[in-house]
Amino acid sequence: MTEHNAVRVYHSRSPRLRRTLRMVGAWLAVLLVPGLAFAAVVKGQVKGHNQLVNPVWEEAARPESNHYTWREPSPTVRAEFRTLFGLAPKELCIVGIKKGDVAPPSVPTLITIGGGRTTPVTIVVAPGTRLRFRNSDPFKHKLYAVNEPSLMPSEMGIAAERDWTAPKPGTYELRDELAPSLRSWVVVKPGVASIGYPDRSGAFFLTLEPGDYTLEAYFAGKPIGKPREVSVSTRDVDLTKDPIVVAEDKKPEEKK
Amino acid sequence: MLLSRFWYLILALALTAAVGGLFLATSVYNRASSSAMEQALAADKQVVGWYLNDDARRRSSLLLKAVLDETLRTHLAKASSSQSKVPEESRAKVRDALRKLLDAMPKDVFTAMFAVDQYGRVIGQVGFDQASGNPDFELGGYPVVADALHGWVRDDAWVLDGRVYLIVARPVEVDTAQMPAGAVVGARVVDTSYVRQISKRSGAAVGFFADGAVKAKAAPEGFDPTKLDTIVSDIDKLAKDDDYQQKGFSKPKVLMGDVGVIYSKIPGESWDLGAGYVVGRAASKASNPLDLVQMADAADKKGIPWYLLGPLFLVAAALGLIFSFFEHTRPLHTLRVEAERMAKGETDMLQVSKFRGVYRKIASDLNDGTDKVAAKGGVPRKAADLESVLGPIPAAPEMSAFSFPMEGGAAATAPSSPGAAPISKPNVVAPPAPRSSGVQPPPPRQSGSAVQPPPPKEIKLPPPKPESSAAAAAPAPKPAPAPEPPRDEEDQTVVSAVPPEILEASATGAHAAVKEADEISEWHNIYEEFLRTKKQCGEPTAGLTFEKFQGTLRKNRDQLIQKTNCKKVKFSVYVKDGRAALKASPVRS
Repeated sequence: MTEHNAVRVYHSRSPRLRRTLRMVGAWLAVLLVPGLAFAAVVKGQVKGHNQLVNPVWEEAARPESNHYTWREPSPTVRAEFRTLFGLAPKELCIVGIKKGDVAPPSVPTLITIGGGRTTPVTIVVAPGTRLRFRNSDPFKHKLYAVNEPSLMPSEMGIAAERDWTAPKPGTYELRDELAPSLRSWVVVKPGVASIGYPDRSGAFFLTLEPGDYTLEAYFAGKPIGKPREVSVSTRDVDLTKDPIVVAEDKKPEEKK
Repeated sequence: MLLSRFWYLILALALTAAVGGLFLATSVYNRASSSAMEQALAADKQVVGWYLNDDARRRSSLLLKAVLDETLRTHLAKASSSQSKVPEESRAKVRDALRKLLDAMPKDVFTAMFAVDQYGRVIGQVGFDQASGNPDFELGGYPVVADALHGWVRDDAWVLDGRVYLIVARPVEVDTAQMPAGAVVGARVVDTSYVRQISKRSGAAVGFFADGAVKAKAAPEGFDPTKLDTIVSDIDKLAKDDDYQQKGFSKPKVLMGDVGVIYSKIPGESWDLGAGYVVGRAASKASNPLDLVQMADAADKKGIPWYLLGPLFLVAAALGLIFSFFEHTRPLHTLRVEAERMAKGETDMLQVSKFRGVYRKIASDLNDGTDKVAAKGGVPRKAADLESVLGPIPAAPEMSAFSFPMEGGAAATAPSSPGAAPISKPNVVAPPAPRSSGVQPPPPRQSGSAVQPPPPKEIKLPPPKPESSAAAAAPAPKPAPAPEPPRDEEDQTVVSAVPPEILEASATGAHAAVKEADEISEWHNIYEEFLRTKKQCGEPTAGLTFEKFQGTLRKNRDQLIQKTNCKKVKFSVYVKDGRAALKASPVRS
């Protein structure tokens, strides 16, 4: 039977049969993929993320940093947008922390280097998690961890990869000798079950197995906002109606 | 005399002051040159900084056309609305739009242009070929791009793979009620053409460096830009330069002694990456006063006040000549004239009143000396020396110098019975007859008081005394025939019998003339022996006549007698260093 004929037979089946086949496939997936069988999706919303100023950009905007010869606002852009808040999809890490130890993932967690930063900028991982850095820029990088001998500066060519596992819990700041604007943070914390990043509107979701979790937000390597306790069962959890506040709105006069 | 000496002192002081002044001028010139160079370098650095600033603003204003481009605005807004994959259609259209915009801009304003959405993703780019085909290429982490995405306009400087890029970025706006849809980024690589522009407009020698190497350099006419390559060895030291690290620029430095430089950081990310630019100027230093002369051009030489120096030279020379005329030439002339008059007998003494200063003292002393000599009735002159008799002594002298053994010392080497043998021998070498031509013995000097021994032939021997019976009893020898003149005065030796007068006088042994004749006879033997020895030694004998020879011997005899108070001097011939030589030995008995 040719491929064309097989597609024609599949499409010729009745809608009921197709529904049955889909159900069988879904159940097979649930049964065969460990940890996913009873996972639930926790939907959430963060608030105030546009108040989280990226420390690198903010520092570079200071005249004494000597990072520009001139800098002036575009007159047609409203002042509220001129705040150098970070890009939440890359910088604001929402993490679900479970009491007790959680086994690290068996596959490396990918962090790409490119565009003057890493993606993600801040990541929270369980101890023993292997991180894989990949250079996605068309030029070299030389990544290193500040005051951490296990990740010394080493040149990475185009598309080169480098694995690293944080030796112990803590916060590690990563920098690049060839890109001063690159500053990233790896937070190693026990009990990290899942992480997620909100979109620009602040909406996020986490996939968690049933259990009790604490949702925390991390920005620039530091925990921000008030942790949120959440109990997960086999059903999805919707927290969007009660957003996690990561930063208070500044009064107009406080805005730059 | 005083004026001349004073003038010499003034000249010496003036010369010393002039040389000292030249060294001082060299030092002052170097200091002024160094100061001027430092000021010029500081100005150059500032000018280059201003140029970079103005150039960034100019390029930023050129981006206005890009941020108003409808295609860019539309597709950047579309890309920014979703985090999902950017449609390929948007990428293509943005790329085309950027290409058109770049082509429409003045040449070499931008090397590359990028359109970036709110997520920092590069939706389209032109001119940055290394990123072509890389869908994940983004720029959102760079502060200049983040600033533009948040409504700021600014510049930056990146160092990518060792190359310096000057960056400007502007926000792309679609709706003023929302954040900018994206940003447009323009990049200009710093290459030789760009640096040449800076050098041309600033008039300075400029080089950009990164990663410890000079990436691009250019210099105005008259300055070799390769001199800026010497900074390579100096770049590493900048990390320890406090001024450079804190202020962003170094103090003026002179490298290799011939180029002054100031380093400056480039504002931007490059500030932290050790990239910067250097301005240079040729260091004009004089290592010595002569360099000042070499540095002078025609205009400098034209500026010398010859109208002052010329008269100064003439006055100084005239003063010197006048002083020397009055203090040297004129008194000497007077002395010469007076001496001539005295020599001619016109005056008996020098007229002291005609002289001044030291010349008056000289004239007075001469008069005193003349008076004393006159009072003594004249004194014999001292014997002439060898040179005055034989003439100038050649470089290879025909006769060695005499040696005068001290009393009792050299006497052992002298013959045991000096002066006895030649006379007692039956065959005595007689002196050759004086010839009409040839060298004659020097005539008596004017004084006439010097006693010169007469030549042998003129000796008038006294008649023999009767009490010399031994001699008288002996048969008188036949008078020797008159010697014939030698056919060859150099090669032939005339041997003749001793004149009977001499023999007779010798037999009596009492007369001074006999002694003289004995001595001359002995000298003649010495002369013959000396000639023979010289020939044996291969030495020439031309011009060495007996007259000269005996004059020399006499002079040395007299000197030795006067010195040692001996009665007689015995001469002997010997070979010294392969040459014939004479030895004079005093005989006391």
